[in-house]
Amino acid sequence: MATAQVAATAPPATHAGRFSPSMRGWFARIGVLAGLFALLMWVTAVVPGYWADRISLAVIFAIIGISLNIVLGYVGQVSLGHHGFVGIAAFVAAYYVTEQAGCTPETGCTITAFSTGMVVAAASGALAAGLLGIVALRIKGLYLALITLSYGFVAETSIFEIPSLTRAGSGMPAARPTAFDSDTEFAFLTFAFLALVIYLDWRLIRSKVGRAILSLKHSEPVASSYGINVTAFKILAFVMSGLFAGIGGGLYAFRLENVVANDFQFTSSLLWVLMVVVGGLGNRTGVIIGSAFFAVFPFLVELIPGAEHFFNDTLSRNISYLPILIGPALAIITIIQFPGGIAEQISPITRWLRGERFSLHPEGHGSHSKKDTRKAMLAKLGLDKNGEGEATEAPTEEIKQDSEPVVQGQPEEPHGSAGHDDTKEGVS
Amino acid sequence: MTAVLEVKNTGIRFGGLVALDDVNVSVPEWEIVGLIGPNGAGKTTLFNCIMGAYTPNTGQVFYRGRDISLLPTHRRTALGIGRTFQNIGLIRGLTVVENYMVAQHSRINYGSLSGILGSPRVLAEERKLRANAMEVLDFIGLAHLANSHLDGLPYGTLKLIEVGSVLATDPELLLLDEPSSGMGPDEAHEFGERLLELRKTLNLTVLMIEHHVPLVVGVCDYVYVLNFGKLLTEGKPNDVRRHPEVIAAYLGGEVDHEGTQEAAGVTA
Repeated sequence: MATAQVAATAPPATHAGRFSPSMRGWFARIGVLAGLFALLMWVTAVVPGYWADRISLAVIFAIIGISLNIVLGYVGQVSLGHHGFVGIAAFVAAYYVTEQAGCTPETGCTITAFSTGMVVAAASGALAAGLLGIVALRIKGLYLALITLSYGFVAETSIFEIPSLTRAGSGMPAARPTAFDSDTEFAFLTFAFLALVIYLDWRLIRSKVGRAILSLKHSEPVASSYGINVTAFKILAFVMSGLFAGIGGGLYAFRLENVVANDFQFTSSLLWVLMVVVGGLGNRTGVIIGSAFFAVFPFLVELIPGAEHFFNDTLSRNISYLPILIGPALAIITIIQFPGGIAEQISPITRWLRGERFSLHPEGHGSHSKKDTRKAMLAKLGLDKNGEGEATEAPTEEIKQDSEPVVQGQPEEPHGSAGHDDTKEGVS
Repeated sequence: MTAVLEVKNTGIRFGGLVALDDVNVSVPEWEIVGLIGPNGAGKTTLFNCIMGAYTPNTGQVFYRGRDISLLPTHRRTALGIGRTFQNIGLIRGLTVVENYMVAQHSRINYGSLSGILGSPRVLAEERKLRANAMEVLDFIGLAHLANSHLDGLPYGTLKLIEVGSVLATDPELLLLDEPSSGMGPDEAHEFGERLLELRKTLNLTVLMIEHHVPLVVGVCDYVYVLNFGKLLTEGKPNDVRRHPEVIAAYLGGEVDHEGTQEAAGVTA
């Protein structure tokens, strides 16, 4: 009732003073976004098949990154068992299309069989992660990390060893749908799933669900006194993470077309955690770029003349080990020097695209006070999880206050008079 | 008429320590009831029992005649019990306005699933939430801080922001845990005025833990005194203030009828 009464009596809030781009400004921003999108699509369409395959790997990594970001960035817990969820989902998808829907590598799959396979993959990922969420209700931090690690190993050594599910060493085939059989077509399909995951993650964080999950990370007692069901939302966070991991796993299966247990090992989970940290905890755009970078990095290095020879023959190491070698180094540099990760480095661009003024130093605005720097650092460290949104809003507020000191006084006025009216109403 | 809040025979022990023992507290409609007592007397523990953060070993909690002893905290919030914390109960990572949006959680008119899937109704509801949050901010006079981060704001302001965040949960009963801590005498006085005004405007009932004696005397209709988990005495603020046992409990001395006034001055 109280809020309703407040609503009836208090003057409506205004957001005057916030910078908003002109019509031309908006066209420029939309144009840049559309251009980037078109470039990405064009590259995917024209590159040879084996590069399209690598692009789909990057997209799948991005989906897994978004999945892990929910646990790591929003909930604030470490999951070292994500290869378990992804692997389970991959095998379930492969098992469904091959054993239940009767797809074979020769005939391919129908769209219906593929879609159902993706749905059961997502569901199995969600279920697997939901179980972990129940554990996470009681255990946190280092010990939860340990539990997730064991979870991954248990999946590796038990579930991935079930012959009827994984066909042991030879692997379970997962035929692609006939309409998306070529690597290029399949890459476009993965983009569609990435769009879906981005949309869901965006809605998640911009709705009460995301706010509830972010609150849990900071203080469970306060969150529950705000009316948030701590148990439900913590499990929901893990379920959403598992759902996305399941989508990633399902696509992984169809990308490989033959799933073997060796594809899902602890090193994958470790790499995924590193790529999320380097991308920028809690920041979707950063995580996507970081994930894609880690996925295609070894292939880009391969392009350097002599690099392949150096790795394969001189070091006798497969070049695909490269990310796990440079990953820790990048993560250390990120944590010490650039806590916001890639997300922070590209923030002038992402801020501009969101409709802010272009500025290379969004936090400072000339006068770098210690407080501002600390605030920015906290934001970067992922202690404020809503990511760019907030970090961007605070500085605009500062401009507003600097340039128009009158604004600060204004709210007092209507409040005072409203207060008196209220009093009268209350009495009469 | 039944009281808004009734705590009956509540007791809780942590291991060998009896934190609360057979405590009875009743908060009638539209009253501001004070809860005082020395440090470690069990005041915040009682709040935790009322909100469901702790499960008492004995006794029940009634809200408007309904036994809520077994409800989880978030259900009690939904019923209309709002609570502030001794150390600021705000979500540090969010801005002020976002805190107020989270605080409206139990009043949000869409399910989690439709929130994730998104629909025009969700977007409309989100706009309404932000508008409500801004209205509460206007109401407590802090609209200019809407997009500020909490870090770096003065303690007194944070306390006020916290009270606002509890108002955003749309409560009928307010549990305030030392609202005036960190405020100077003038600010505390102003806070008292504001609380009286709030009660008038929003029809609030308040149970308040408070050490600041002038504030307690100024705004409370009735006062309970806790000491070592037991109810020491209860009554009108001015009577309780002169109660020899209360003075003894605060000063840790013997009951001394001569030094009452002086001792009351010290506690103030």
